[in-house]
Amino acid sequence: MTDRLRITGGAVYDPANGVDGDVRDVCVENGRIVASLPDDAPRLDAHGMVVMPGGIDIHAHIAASSVNQARRILSDERTADPASPPALFDTVARSGTGGTVPTTFTTGYRYAGLGYTTVFDAAVAPVGARDTHAQLDDTPIVDSGFFVLMGNDPYLLQQVAAGERDRARDYAAWLLGATGAYAIKLVNPGGIELWKRNVRAVKSIDDALGIPGVTPRAIMETLADAANALALPHPVHIHCNNLGLPGNVATTLDSMRALSGRRVHFTHVQFHAYAGGDGNPWASGAKELIAYINAHPEVTADVGQVMLGHATTVTADGAVEYLLHASTGRRWVNVDVELETGCGIVPYEYRDAAAVASLQWVVGLELFLLSEDPWRVLLSTDHPNGGAFTSYPELIRLLMDRAYRDERLEAVNHKLLAGSALADGLSREYTLREIAIITRAGPARQLGLTSKGHLGPGADADITIYARDPDIARMFATPRYVIKGGVLVVEEGQLRRAPPTHRLHVQPPYDEAVMRDLSVWFDRYATIALANYPVAPPRDAPVPLRAGA
Amino acid sequence: MSQMPGGDLVEHVTCLGCGCSCDDIAVAVRGGRIAEARGACALGSSWFGDGRVPAIARAHGSIVTVDAALDAAATLLDQARRALVFLGIDISCETQRAAVEVADTLHAVVDGVSSSTVAAGILAAQRRGRVSATLGEIRNRADCIVFWGTDPAARYPRYASRYAPEPAGLFVPDGRRSRRLVSVDVGDARGPAEADTRIRIHADQELDAIAALRAVLAGRPLGGTELDGALADLARTLTAARYVAIVYDAEPGALPPEPARAESLTALGQQLNAVTRACVTPLRGGGNRVGAESVLAWQTGYPMTVDFSRGHPRFRPDDGAGALVASGAVDAVLVVGRALGTPFAIDAVRSVAIGPSASELPCDAAIDTGVAGIHESGTAFRMDDIPLPLRAPVPGPPVAADVMRALAQRIHTRRSRRS
Repeated sequence: MTDRLRITGGAVYDPANGVDGDVRDVCVENGRIVASLPDDAPRLDAHGMVVMPGGIDIHAHIAASSVNQARRILSDERTADPASPPALFDTVARSGTGGTVPTTFTTGYRYAGLGYTTVFDAAVAPVGARDTHAQLDDTPIVDSGFFVLMGNDPYLLQQVAAGERDRARDYAAWLLGATGAYAIKLVNPGGIELWKRNVRAVKSIDDALGIPGVTPRAIMETLADAANALALPHPVHIHCNNLGLPGNVATTLDSMRALSGRRVHFTHVQFHAYAGGDGNPWASGAKELIAYINAHPEVTADVGQVMLGHATTVTADGAVEYLLHASTGRRWVNVDVELETGCGIVPYEYRDAAAVASLQWVVGLELFLLSEDPWRVLLSTDHPNGGAFTSYPELIRLLMDRAYRDERLEAVNHKLLAGSALADGLSREYTLREIAIITRAGPARQLGLTSKGHLGPGADADITIYARDPDIARMFATPRYVIKGGVLVVEEGQLRRAPPTHRLHVQPPYDEAVMRDLSVWFDRYATIALANYPVAPPRDAPVPLRAGA
Repeated sequence: MSQMPGGDLVEHVTCLGCGCSCDDIAVAVRGGRIAEARGACALGSSWFGDGRVPAIARAHGSIVTVDAALDAAATLLDQARRALVFLGIDISCETQRAAVEVADTLHAVVDGVSSSTVAAGILAAQRRGRVSATLGEIRNRADCIVFWGTDPAARYPRYASRYAPEPAGLFVPDGRRSRRLVSVDVGDARGPAEADTRIRIHADQELDAIAALRAVLAGRPLGGTELDGALADLARTLTAARYVAIVYDAEPGALPPEPARAESLTALGQQLNAVTRACVTPLRGGGNRVGAESVLAWQTGYPMTVDFSRGHPRFRPDDGAGALVASGAVDAVLVVGRALGTPFAIDAVRSVAIGPSASELPCDAAIDTGVAGIHESGTAFRMDDIPLPLRAPVPGPPVAADVMRALAQRIHTRRSRRS
């Protein structure tokens, strides 16, 4: 391998730098993009091909303790999807198994094989952070980080009750650093703690959670403000209350309004965009939700598209998994985690003959197709909840190819699609520029990753090169070349190299006074010594906090 | 580490003497040896010992350098038609990761202690799932603890004082007095003497008793025997509790428990969650057994008994280590870690051992390593899947993870020369 490369003749899609399919060279030196190279630098001929930054997954579940719990029970589906080691030139390749929750090595290889070079695990219990770092260490090629779960931890809830917002912020800063995390994640704010107390429903974001002054609203406000005050590169990442329930779009909109004016990311909003309920049938709430998002530039979202087929639902939101188990009779894992969070797992299948699954599929597509700002409505399937990440090429085809989409729409169950915008006909087709935004430039911007998601000088040389193909799914499933950190990892469609990966994490400052309080808390309630709680600091330097915040 | 007269005191040391993995041990070190493991129970103190372990390497009967033993081991394993990699105990996750890499490269079978102790529970989870909780949840929340055929005092001495029923917790502020303690005695397997409620069932009635409890929860009447009455009372106790923890010993001794116990209790626990909150949690032995299952799951997708012979992992729960050696299906064995509970005779085939006291085994090549948590730092999993850091209070023989990585490297080199 040379450390210089000139990619010539490709149509470059680099939306962050205003480049929209222009044919131009991209130069790589020492792992980064540079403005120019001497003429004798090695060349990679990309004539007739599409050049984009490497893909960035803003929300997936690939390396949490919960993910590994799921792997342990999915022996049936993975038996059908063995993964022999790829033929790598530079490192020892490892075998694995796939299915909806692939093993770590296979996860890294398959992401890279799709042209993705950065992935975030979206839900890690703080106490399980050490497990996640080990799993990510065994996830090759892709750079990675994770979001640490907060908002159901009684320590935090007590700070909210006491109005101790500064201490809550210091606690959040300590926890991010102690776990080596990248961002703060809220799942069903307050609702997981309630589930542990056998209270199974949060009716509204103003429900009292058994502690005076503690409501989902107060939890969300406290942590959203903490993340912004700490100038974290990614704002608080919220999975709202009432996931998957009919009528939940009201809760989602209430949550967005509660945090109005604050920089916030709402995740897998498809699962939170249903109308109906209270005796009325399920219906799409996508139009209402996307109208709010379109009108509020401080809000960003990823969709959490449901893909028809097999999935594994795995979430910290234990209560919703109990409902799924009770209504389907399927296998069910629940783990209540250490005064911090929860974990629920139910393997699932979204069948096109099923009315609700079809509605979910439609709601996600409506959110994409009615979004007016691709920078703020990003691609995800909440892997593996809505479908595995390996289905992204199929999802991109649904967005780019109306004829194909309409054909698929014909095949699904239409029982709950009355009034659906998609059923009424949506002609929009995403452009390559828009795909580059929702899978690269947009996630990078919302994650605050200034050296990723674009191809300007100084950026990490994470690049994907696709051969054009009338079958959009095939084009995105089999990139011709993938470059990670300047190293050619996919060559002529074959995985060839697995260069070292980087851990993306933050180390925000905090007032040490919080440690005295935490020390008392640990002595009383924890089963792990405070001294043993922090993970070994990742070898990579922390990602800088936002400038000027 | 802090200085103390005549030595050092290493605090917050994690003990792997049993699956409780207490991480509050203060190890006093004098002259490079462990003088005392403060805070440890008798079992823990015995596990720490004085920190002295053998530190030699052997090959074909002679004491050799570690490098020479690694060469012999690599050659033996590389030449095997079909090898077995057996994950013993007292090794870190870092060592387990390297061991699975070796198995992957060799197209070997990898197995460990779990397949001969907790296989029934692992398979039950694959069919039905689990309802579990970490020990911190039980400590802080459980107002009803059911010890099912076990008294943790014997094999998990600090379980009661660190986790339940004794400690005060966030939602059980009066500790033991906040909790109802139930003992279900199964045959000779008795629960704690101080239980508030005690039910005795014959060993061969265990599954019937669980089925009866499930029937009561489903609203079906039981018969009129004394046991029926007791079970109906127990069902009322369980449903009246806010948070129930049913605790059983998944590794009670040499023989695994009733094979259907885990699945039946899981079904009971899942059903209880329709009414109240409940978890069913297994007690697990020491030495980072759960770590082996976790590492195998993330690297291969299966928590035990994985066959790489086709170049990718396949789950072979019915062909564990014992059966493979007994049938002659493998012609070489690599034991990684302390060979406790090895379900085969190690000298039945050509063998390599890498781990604590490996040189005491009748092997063709052996390399003594330190004990994870005594001489080696790293990561281990507590019985409830919580990862904990290991500290190394005393120096020791070569680090197992380093030795395993060196072995992996030697095997890769041999294979790549041929390809």
